[in-house]
Amino acid sequence: MIIVIGSGPAGLAAAEAASRNGTEVALIDSAPRIGGQYWRHRKSVTGYKSKRADFLFSKIAAAESITHISEATVWSAERQGDIFKINYLQGGIENSLVGEKVIVATGAYDRALPFPGWDLPGSMTPGAAQSLLKGHGVLPGQKIIVAGTGPFLLPVATGLAEAGAEIVGLFDANSPLRWSLSPRALTANLSKFLELIYYAQLLRKHGIRPQFGRAITAFKDGVATVSQVNSHFSIKKQESSVKVDVVAIGWGFLPDLSLGGILGCAQKVDSDGTVIFSVDNFQLSSQRNIWIAGEATGIGGADLSLIEGEIAGLAASGQKISHTLLRKRFRKQLFADALKRSYPVHDGWTDWLSVDTTICRCEEVKLQEISDSVSELGAEDSRTAKLFTRAGMGLCQGRMCSRNVSDIVSGITGCSVTDAERIAGSNRPIAAPISLGQLSDGNISL
Amino acid sequence: MSQVDRFTFNGVDIHYEEGQSIAAALINDKKRELRSTRFGGEPRSIFCGIGICFDCIVVIDGVGNQRSCLIQAQPGMKVESGQ
Repeated sequence: MIIVIGSGPAGLAAAEAASRNGTEVALIDSAPRIGGQYWRHRKSVTGYKSKRADFLFSKIAAAESITHISEATVWSAERQGDIFKINYLQGGIENSLVGEKVIVATGAYDRALPFPGWDLPGSMTPGAAQSLLKGHGVLPGQKIIVAGTGPFLLPVATGLAEAGAEIVGLFDANSPLRWSLSPRALTANLSKFLELIYYAQLLRKHGIRPQFGRAITAFKDGVATVSQVNSHFSIKKQESSVKVDVVAIGWGFLPDLSLGGILGCAQKVDSDGTVIFSVDNFQLSSQRNIWIAGEATGIGGADLSLIEGEIAGLAASGQKISHTLLRKRFRKQLFADALKRSYPVHDGWTDWLSVDTTICRCEEVKLQEISDSVSELGAEDSRTAKLFTRAGMGLCQGRMCSRNVSDIVSGITGCSVTDAERIAGSNRPIAAPISLGQLSDGNISL
Repeated sequence: MSQVDRFTFNGVDIHYEEGQSIAAALINDKKRELRSTRFGGEPRSIFCGIGICFDCIVVIDGVGNQRSCLIQAQPGMKVESGQ
């Protein structure tokens, strides 16, 4: 049996592909419904190219060889000889699943950067705004600013506007001219122009004019500060103060590496500084019988995730993989690389902070404490700063702040963050918090 | 709305639609402040919306540290801000 962890585009494509020759598949996910964060719709999937979701959803539902285990949070995984044991919590009860092969498709979450007020109610990630709307039918507020960088801001802003929100600003800190750095990626993916036209029409319909080279650099008492930023993201000038209910700000995505990391799969640092898994041409990780697909092998979006998932599913079930499929993946990878070149996150964002800005949301660690740990206590890297301040030691296990803490510490010491430090900051011994009671009730070996 | 589609948040009745998370039902009811922080007493709300950040944690029927963005509202749940 193949255990597919995660039911977003990559996991669904993997399960569907593996089931083509009747291979038994267990598809496990923490959500009540399949679709992941990308297709997290309550009823039918809508939006650009939503037919792909309909196709996969119906295939998964019809395949007798696929078992879907929903609302199950996988918190650890272990190899026992030739089999894998995947431990999960479902409705507060500890359980486990056994299989010979694993496909990790755990996806990604929004990357957040701190700024004064980012911890106040009303400030959230675009993913949160999207999940409230698509997953729960709730608008996070009426007057909304969508900001940060990257193409994901387009579906979020237009989706909120379609649902009746007033988008009072759409700001990308980067310039669209950066796309001129990647002509080959564009000519190899002409269909992307259709997607751009789709969103441009929606923006026009709602009178939303995207502005570039701008960021939200403060938020307080329902007022967002819009600043012009230079190509390093340092503030050129504060441009305006805008009254809003919600600022939805995201800086691309970070993959969740916990489970593959626990299973010992080798990682590397991607061109944009993101830690990802190393995989071979057929999505096989450094570990025997573990394949990895989707955002965890490099942020590339749903198109690339679907192809990687299909390849992983075919490989894990011993089916033939066509050259056409591999070539399709290559073209999408070109586009993914172009996305990284077009929407970089520059370290000038640290200029937006004040000494009392919260950096670690869980442990409420302020910038001052992190600076002090370096300048007065002698911390030379983020790990030491973390031990002094508890930044990254809260319930989220550093998922929100560890990369930011590394960049802040490196900014003070003047030493760039090493790959080893980035990889260490992305790994954790368990994938989700579990109580000692739940741990002691089950027969779990760590 | 029927009697069953409600839970309480700090003692106040909150209506929800079936399938909605606790956080979504609260945001829909204009209750943005889900808790205050342990040390600074600062207000916090939903942030990542997908169970990663743990900012929206609440106490549900006496059990703490529950992510309100992930857990579906159920009739009669007693939800509290806790600490």
